[in-house]
Formats: sequence, C-alpha cells, structure tokens
Amino acid sequence: MKTDATAAALRTEDPEEIETEAGHRSKVIEVPEGAAWNAVEDAMLRRRSIRKYKRRQVPAHVIRRLLEVARYAPSQGNCQPWKFVVVRDADVIQAMEDFCVEACRKLSRSLDYVNYPHGSFKHFFTRAKAKLFNRLQPNMLHPVPMTAVTLIAQGRFTVFHRAPTLILLLVDKRGIGTPEIDIGICGTNIVLAAQSLGLGTCWIGFSKFLNQSRDWCVRLGVEEPYEICQAITVGYPVGNPTHLIARDTHETAWFEGGKKEILY
Amino acid sequence: MALLSKAERRHFPDWDDPAQCIFYRVEIDPEKCDGCKLCTVVCPTNVLELYGEKGNKKARVKETIRGCASCNNCQAICETGAIAATRPYDFVGFYRQLGRGEFAMPRTF
Repeated sequence: MKTDATAAALRTEDPEEIETEAGHRSKVIEVPEGAAWNAVEDAMLRRRSIRKYKRRQVPAHVIRRLLEVARYAPSQGNCQPWKFVVVRDADVIQAMEDFCVEACRKLSRSLDYVNYPHGSFKHFFTRAKAKLFNRLQPNMLHPVPMTAVTLIAQGRFTVFHRAPTLILLLVDKRGIGTPEIDIGICGTNIVLAAQSLGLGTCWIGFSKFLNQSRDWCVRLGVEEPYEICQAITVGYPVGNPTHLIARDTHETAWFEGGKKEILY
Repeated sequence: MALLSKAERRHFPDWDDPAQCIFYRVEIDPEKCDGCKLCTVVCPTNVLELYGEKGNKKARVKETIRGCASCNNCQAICETGAIAATRPYDFVGFYRQLGRGEFAMPRTF
C-alpha cells in the first residue's frame, strides 16, 4: 500500500511547491486588459452559419484535417461516442435532401396550421393537434424550426444548402452521461477549425429525419447503437460574410468577495 | 421559484400571430444602403429584395414574419453597415426569452 500513501501525500501537498522543487516553472500567459482578440477568439466571433456555398469542392485532405481535430474533442470519461460519415457526391446529397424535404412536407401538412385558412375546420383541427404535440415535444416544435419546416416544404429553404461536402455526426447511444453533448463539442472543433481555414459550415439538425428511413440507414451504414445526431455542411461561402455582428447578452451571476452581482 | 408563471408554461404561442411571435430582427437603413445586392444573394430564405428605380436600388425585408432564419449573414456581409440585427426574436408564453440583456457587438474587457 506504499503507492496509496504516496498518492495521499501528493493530494495534501501544494502542487505549485512540487513544481518549483522539480525545477521547472510553467509559464503563465498574462492577458492585458482590453487586449485584441487572438486568432482562436476571432474565429469564434466571425463564425456564421453559412447556407450559400460555391460549387467548388473542398479538397479531401482539408476534410481529413477537420476530422483530425474533431478526434481530439473532450468527451465525458473520454468515451468519444462519435462516428463520422462523409458524403461528397452531389447526387447522394441531393437524394438525402429530397428525402428530408418529403419528411418536412409531411410534418408541415400534419402540424402547421398556418398552411390552412383561418376559420376552416382544417385550421382548427391542425392547431389543436399542434398545441398538444407542442406540449409533448416542446424542443422539437419550437416556432423557429417549425417555420423552417414549412419553408422547406414550400421549397423556399433547403436542408443541406447544396453544400459540396456533408459530415454526418453519428452518436454512440451507449456513451457516458450525455453523449449528445459530446457530439456538440466534437462538432464545434470541426466548425471552428473550418472557419479558421476559410470554410463555411452549418449545423443541420434536420439530418435526424434520415434515422427514420431504414434504406438510408443501410446506405449510410448507420447501425445500432449508432444513430445520426447532427450533420455539418462544409463548403466555400458565397461572398465574404465576416463582419462582426451584434448579439444578445446573457445574464451572468458573478459571485466574488462575498457578494453576488448580476452582469450582462 | 420559477421564472415562468404557470399560465405562461401552459401557453404555446400561435405561430401565425405577430403579437405572440417575433421572428425577424433585421433592420435596413436606406440612407447607407448602396443596393449592391450582396445581402439578397446571401439570404438563405430570400427574405430580402431590392426595390426602387434602376441606379438607386435599396434592399428591404420582403416579409415580416415566417421567413427570416435569423442567421445574421446579411449584416455580416454588408460592406456599408446598412443592415443591423437590432431586435432579438421573442415569443410569448412557454418560449419567452429569459435573462437577456441589450444587443451588443463583441466587447473587449
């Protein structure tokens, strides 16, 4: 039990003292007040969800590079509950698009009462159904995605935005804790790396519709215990949408010096 | 202790009622707009359009509700700074936005 004793001693000792005794002092980066954004922060601030892409394909080695940084994302218990499917054939992406558009059409027809004239029975009935489903699935049937569903059904909005490359993020449902969050962190690595390389990306939550189709699951190799969690489109953005924009500020409770302050 | 009242939690806003759902948050200053058409190209839902006679075209929002995807790319692409996202989207009832402050550009501290 000698090792346990050493471990217990280490826990009580001051790690900084041990560092000094070992003879190497680690560097502390001093950030002066009001300093300009560094490259990483700048990529975070200028990242936009790009939905208009150039037709030009992204080189394969660049996509491999994005997957390489994705592999180093933090995950709960280092369980890495992800798997990637990369689709770079325009006809396959178009077929996926057609499937998702059809799914949106069905969803819009059955739940979006805005499709039907006020006072009609269809409007009344669909609205009652939508309110019930809204209560059962408040996250999925938020007004924002429901608007997108109807726009897609009307052909006014796209699912995969005609992007040249699509990265599907599959989640291992057996992952530790909340594996979907790990997928979010993993995808963020991809998105920020892409931004720093001059690429545009967009998260596609509607890609989940593909899970409902056995044909698509077979074709894409999505098998239990994996399922499609999110997708990211990658391509060169049209134009240069890199100006900084304004955004909401969020309430932050700040506890310091025995006081609580509310900051924004 | 809850930020939403019981009545609010039970109320799901009507998707087609502008009083209950504010979707769009884009405002265009016609003084600054030079009609370069970049914003109409980049808009994924084609909510923006040009109007006015040839040579003096300006951009405007075509529809006020149910259209804007709130991507803000029009502001990000505008070279003259004519477009601004000034209003956050908001809903009544269950989806009311909570704990938001003023809209702000990136701030350095």
